[in-house]
Amino acid sequence: MRFILTSAVKDLRRLRRDPVMLLTWLGIPTLVAILLVVIFGRGDARPNGKLLIVDEDQGIGATLLAGAFSQGALGNIISIEKVDREEGRRRINKGDASALLVIPKNFTTALVEGKSASLQLVRNPAQRILPNIIEETLSMLTDAAFYLQIVAGPQLREAAQGPPSDTGIAQISVQFSHVIEGSRKYLAPPLIQLETKVIQENTDKPSGFAALMLPGMLYLAVFFIAGGLATDVWRERTSGALRRVVTTPASFRAFLAGKMLAVLIVLALVGAFGLAVAHVLVDLRISNFPLAVVWIAMSGTGLYLFMMLLQSLASTERVANMLGNFVLLPLSMLGGSFFPFDMMPKGFARLGRLTPNGWSVTELQKILDGVGVTLAAFAAVIVFLIAAWLVVGWRVRRTVC
Amino acid sequence: MIEIDQLRKQYGDVTAVKDVTFTSQPGEIFGLLGPNGAGKTTTIGCISSLLTPTSGHIRVMGHDVVRDGVAARRSIGVVPQEIALHDDLSARENLSYWGGAQGLRGRQLNDRIAEVLELTGLLDRAKEPIKQFSGGMKRRLNFACGIVHKPKVLLLDEPTVGVDPQSRVRLLELVQDQAKGGACVLYTTHYMEEAQSLCDRLAIIDHGNIIAKGTLAELRALLGERDLLRLTGVFRPDAVREALARLEGVEIIQSDEIQLALSVNDASHRLPSLFAAINTAGEVRGTTLTQPSLESLFIKLTGKELRE
Repeated sequence: MRFILTSAVKDLRRLRRDPVMLLTWLGIPTLVAILLVVIFGRGDARPNGKLLIVDEDQGIGATLLAGAFSQGALGNIISIEKVDREEGRRRINKGDASALLVIPKNFTTALVEGKSASLQLVRNPAQRILPNIIEETLSMLTDAAFYLQIVAGPQLREAAQGPPSDTGIAQISVQFSHVIEGSRKYLAPPLIQLETKVIQENTDKPSGFAALMLPGMLYLAVFFIAGGLATDVWRERTSGALRRVVTTPASFRAFLAGKMLAVLIVLALVGAFGLAVAHVLVDLRISNFPLAVVWIAMSGTGLYLFMMLLQSLASTERVANMLGNFVLLPLSMLGGSFFPFDMMPKGFARLGRLTPNGWSVTELQKILDGVGVTLAAFAAVIVFLIAAWLVVGWRVRRTVC
Repeated sequence: MIEIDQLRKQYGDVTAVKDVTFTSQPGEIFGLLGPNGAGKTTTIGCISSLLTPTSGHIRVMGHDVVRDGVAARRSIGVVPQEIALHDDLSARENLSYWGGAQGLRGRQLNDRIAEVLELTGLLDRAKEPIKQFSGGMKRRLNFACGIVHKPKVLLLDEPTVGVDPQSRVRLLELVQDQAKGGACVLYTTHYMEEAQSLCDRLAIIDHGNIIAKGTLAELRALLGERDLLRLTGVFRPDAVREALARLEGVEIIQSDEIQLALSVNDASHRLPSLFAAINTAGEVRGTTLTQPSLESLFIKLTGKELRE
């Protein structure tokens, strides 16, 4: 037990002697947080897209269609700009907007007369989410127009003739009333009872992109640190210190436990620092700060053992480093460190959450959100740490002799 | 005390150490002399529990190193061939770590650290990171880490490799001090001079086999009082053998087209007659005459030089 502390103190002293490395590690989460704030703002940033509309119809249908994009929540993330066809083409080719919508001549006529009309939507291939939103919205609007034609085609045709008189408006209103009355036998009693439950919006939780990215980015730093610390066993092996440990009465597993303890302490400090910086800079909501720090330290130590096990399979330090990087970067990308899971295709997100770092990010997010402390997750990490400690101890001891 | 009985270590088909047997007593410096790859480090590795013997028994202070490894290792101090230290720690911190690994704590540890720093002449540099140390200073610290817990058995694996002459002398004095203090010292080297000047008893090892062992006097007796005469030039081995067969007290140790090694009684007085005989079978271009030594014994036993 005493040698565990001796071994941990030794590693912490060695880390303290290399302040540049330590500062680099602490700098990763800080720098990332600062960059996120600079790029996306303090928590209230939203994606902002532009829809270019070429209105060759100039009728009420086109006006309604264009107006639909500036209504409600949609209007907060998409701004509309009317352009001519040539300018629209030029700007979408330049990547100046999320999409270009061309409303053809006689669109309104086709709409009221129940004829077919085709809308042309050109998407910006460099963007993924906003063009999708525009396309989905447009699809919903064309469906709505189709049903409107079926339900109130004659009335629309009358309205399209020109500005109706007061009597005309009254007649159209009465006719709409009859249509709705006629539809009631299909609608009432409704076959499906729709129960609406309003969930209180959590106003504390920032919806900003930076806050969304931060847990993943924090784990990028944790993963890098864990990988960097894992290579230390190679340095000790090369110097012969590892062989010397084996010749002492101290147990090799105690030596490894000491290294784990040092890593746990370093990651706890990095985690606490990273979370504090995130809280200050991007208003990251932290429901349970100590628990989040403990989680980062424990799961990060698990990643350290994972990397050490991987590196122990290599024949030289160089191969170990290459192997580490080969695994670290793809896992980080998949594990939500480069793109939040919410922005990933579903299949990738599902796979990413199964990676050790991705799973850790997901659990950290739960702790930060205060969704509930998952004891099972902590138990799983403890079981993994014990199993990995035994396996890595055996494996590294074997490589020494 | 170290007792090794029929030690054998195999790696697949390769046998690194074959049936090595010897005993070393407290207060004695026992030398294991042999060229690189002879099996010296493997033997030390087995004694220090780094390697598991394939067969045979090793007992350190009465403890079997396989069955009772921890107890055996408590008595052992190892000074490995490589400088097994942490470059980013100071001398004091390195000693504290290795002393801690040996079970020393608190005041006892601090006292011993001060003692070995004084002993190795590193006290005034104790707080500096050792990456600033010279090679010789690191060697001395490497030694200090091996003796910080006052081991009863000290295993030294070529501790003077790459050391400047001044540090080497200091290290050899330190080794002698350990033996005088009652420690049983096992010292491996491929430096003949070191073995001759330092060791009370010796074993010569080659290809994993002990080919001779005893005190320096006993080993010299194996060679006799003959000098070693080495000749270089161009020779016809069969003709050389024929020419020398007529001379008394001359033994051919090694003979090929370009070199000749002879064990000769009173060689310095017989050089003219030797050259006359050899020149009938070739041409002598270089001559080296050596008094009886471990090196000449090694050549006699193995037919090759120690550093080959």
